[in-house]
Amino acid sequence: MINNNINAAIFVRNLSFSYPDKPDVLCGVNFQVSPGERVGIIGPNGAGKTSLFMSICGVLTPKVGEIMLFGKPVQPGEFRPEIGLVFQNPNDQLFCASVWDDVAFGPQNMGFSPLEVERRVQEAIAVTGLLELTFRPPHHLSGGEKRMVAIAGVLAMSPLAVIYDEPSANLDIRARRRLIRFLQSSEQTMLISSHDLELILETCDRVILMDCGKIIADGQPQEIMGNAQLMENHGLEKPHSLTRHQHHYDSGDDGGFLANSALAFTQNSSNSAKV
Amino acid sequence: MDEYAYLESPIHRWDTRCKMIGLTTLIFAFATVNSFPLILPMLAISAIIYFVSKLPLLFLFHRLRYPSLFVLGLVVVLPFISGTTIIGQIGYLTVRQEGCFAMLLITSRFVAIMTLCLVMFSTSSVLTTIKALRDCGISPILADLIFLSYRYLFEIGHQFKTMEMALRLRGFQPRHINQRNLSVLASLAGTLLVRSYEQSEQVYQAMRLRGYGGNTGRGDSRISPTYPGILGSTKSFTRDWFSLVLMILCLIISVIFIGVAVS
Amino acid sequence: MHISEGLLPAKVCIGGYAIASVITWYSLRRIEQQPNPTAGIPKAALLTAAFFVASSIRIPIPPASLHLVLNGMLGAILADYAFPAILVGLLFQAVMFGHGGLTTLGVNATMMGVPAILAARLFQMRHFAAKYIGVRPSNSVFAFVAGAGGLGITALIFFGITVMGITADIDAGAEQKAISALMISHLPLMVIEGIFTTLLVNFLARVKPEIL
Repeated sequence: MINNNINAAIFVRNLSFSYPDKPDVLCGVNFQVSPGERVGIIGPNGAGKTSLFMSICGVLTPKVGEIMLFGKPVQPGEFRPEIGLVFQNPNDQLFCASVWDDVAFGPQNMGFSPLEVERRVQEAIAVTGLLELTFRPPHHLSGGEKRMVAIAGVLAMSPLAVIYDEPSANLDIRARRRLIRFLQSSEQTMLISSHDLELILETCDRVILMDCGKIIADGQPQEIMGNAQLMENHGLEKPHSLTRHQHHYDSGDDGGFLANSALAFTQNSSNSAKV
Repeated sequence: MDEYAYLESPIHRWDTRCKMIGLTTLIFAFATVNSFPLILPMLAISAIIYFVSKLPLLFLFHRLRYPSLFVLGLVVVLPFISGTTIIGQIGYLTVRQEGCFAMLLITSRFVAIMTLCLVMFSTSSVLTTIKALRDCGISPILADLIFLSYRYLFEIGHQFKTMEMALRLRGFQPRHINQRNLSVLASLAGTLLVRSYEQSEQVYQAMRLRGYGGNTGRGDSRISPTYPGILGSTKSFTRDWFSLVLMILCLIISVIFIGVAVS
Repeated sequence: MHISEGLLPAKVCIGGYAIASVITWYSLRRIEQQPNPTAGIPKAALLTAAFFVASSIRIPIPPASLHLVLNGMLGAILADYAFPAILVGLLFQAVMFGHGGLTTLGVNATMMGVPAILAARLFQMRHFAAKYIGVRPSNSVFAFVAGAGGLGITALIFFGITVMGITADIDAGAEQKAISALMISHLPLMVIEGIFTTLLVNFLARVKPEIL
C-alpha cells in the first residue's frame, strides 16, 4: 500500500506516459522507494524501464500521474541534483577533455566555489578509484574506466539517489566485479536496471519486475527471480545461481554421476549465456 | 524525408529516374519565370502535380511554414525600396510597383519550386532516390557520401540529443554567452566529432570485411573506373511508357516556360 | 545562412551550379587520386552527418540564440572531402527542412564551400607558424582566423548575392550601404564563430589530434 510519500526517496503514483501518437509506454505505474533502499528493476526490452527513469529525472513529461523526489514534486525540465542518472552508454555522458573536468562539470553547474568543486572531485575520484586517470581524456579510457568516470561525475553532485541504467553492459569480468563491489559499498538510495540478473542479486535487496509498461511483481529478489514461470512469462530466465543442480546417481556408478554432472554444467552454462 | 513514400498515386508509380529528370527540369524552368503572365500557370502546374501525388495538404503547410517566414522576411521590404513607379503611400513608406511585383514573383517561385521539390523527394524512398541520382549520372563517391551520411544522420542525431540530455541532467542550462558555456558547447561538438570519427573507422572495417573497396586487380586500391559504389547502378534506363511520357511532358512544359521567359 | 528557393534569377542559379560543379569535379578527382580513397568515404560521410548535427547547437544570445556555421572547421578536418560534404549537407537541409533550396544548391554550396576550402588552406599554415610561436598558440590563432574568416567570407557572398541578386531595381549605392551595414552587424558573430572554432580545435588537439 502506498503511503507516507513525504518520507519516500522516490514516490511514483499512477504514472502513465506515451510518445506522441504512440501506445502507452508506461501504464499506471505505482511504487515507492525508501531512503537507503536498493531496488533492482528487471524486465525485457521495451518494458518501459528507461522511460520510467527519464520520467523520474524530469526529462519526460508524464501523461498522467505524480512523481515525488524526497517529498517534492518533480517538474519536467527542472534540474534536481538530489537524483543522478548514470546512462547505459557512458559515451553519452562523457564529453570533457579530461576526467577531472568531466567530474567537475556537475558541481560547477551547481554554483559551488572552486575550492568546493575541487574537494568534491577529489572525493568522487577517490571513491571510484580513478586517481591515476585524473588528467586523461575520458575518450581514451576502456569501457570499465569510462563507466566509473560517468559514475564519479554523478557522485560529485552528492545525489541522495542514483539511477543506474544497465551499469554492467559491455564490461569485462574484472570491471564488472569492481562495479559490483562499488555498488555494494555505496550508501545512496539506488535504482538499478539490468539484464545482468546476477548483479541484481548481489547488489539489491528488492526487485521490481516490469513488462509492457506495468509493474508485474515487487518484492524479494530470490522470491521473484526464483520463480521460473514468472520469469519466463515475462521474457526472462531464472538466474543461474538460483537454479538447483539436479544430480542423479546410483551408488557405485561414479561414471554416471560424473557424466550427468558435466551435462548439467553445460546446460546451465548455456542458460547463463542467454541472460 | 520519405514518410509518405508508401502512398499510391500516379506520381508514386512514376519511375524515380524519370521523375527526377522531369521535375528537376520543371523546377529550373520555374526559376526562369520573370513575368506576370507566367505566375498563375506556374502555380497551377505545381498545384496539379501536388494534388495528383495525394500527399496531405498539411504536410505541404508544415514544410513551407518556416522557410516561407524567412523568405517573407527578406522580400517584405521590396515594395518599399525597389523600383521607381509609386503606386501608394502607407504612412511614411512609399509603395512601389516594381517592388510589389518582385515580392509577388519571388514568393510565387518559392511556393511552386518548394512544392515540386516536396513531391520529388517525398514520393519515393530515400534509397530509391539516391539510386536514381546515381543512375542519372552523379559520381559514385557522391552517391556513397549521400547514402552513408543519411544512414548515420539519425543515429548521430540521437547520440547528440542524449548527450544534451546528459548535460541538462547535470545542471547545464546556458542562458547567456560566456567563456565557460562556449567551452562546454565546443567540447560537446568535439565529442560528437570524435565519436563519429571513431565509429566511421569501425564502419569502414565492417564494410571491408564484406568486400567494400576491393582492389581493381591492378595491384592498388584506387577507385576503379567501373567502381559502382555501395549502391551499384542500373545499367538500362526504364522502358515504362507511362514514366517516359510524363517525363517528356514535363520537358515540353519546361521548354515552353523557358522560351517565354527568355523571349 | 542559406539562400532560399525562388529568390535568385535563373542565371545566378545556373552560374552557382557551374562553379559548384567545377569545384566538385576537382575535389572528386583529388579524392580518386588518394592512396586509399574508399577508406575516406565512410569517414567523410559520418563526419558530414556529425557536422550537420553539430550545426544545430544553439549559442544563447538573449533574447534569441544563434546556430554556428562551422564551415571553416569542416574544411580544416575534411580537406578534399569538404566541398562534397558541404554539398551533401546542403542537400539534406534543403530536402528535409526547406533551408536553402535545390535551384540555389549550387550558389549555397559555392558560398559555403569556397570559404571552407580557403579556411582549410589557412589552417594548414599553423604548422609553419608553430616553429616560431609554439603548437598551441599557433593552433589557436589559425583556428580563430579560419573560423571567423570562413564565416566572414560566407556572409559577404551571402549578403552580396542577396542584396544585388534579388531584384535589379535597387539603387547601387543603397545596395553597397546595405551590404556594409549587414557585414558590420555580423562582426560579433564572426568573433563568436572564431572563438568557438578555437575552443573546438584545442579540444580535438588534446583528445584526438589525428582528426586535424
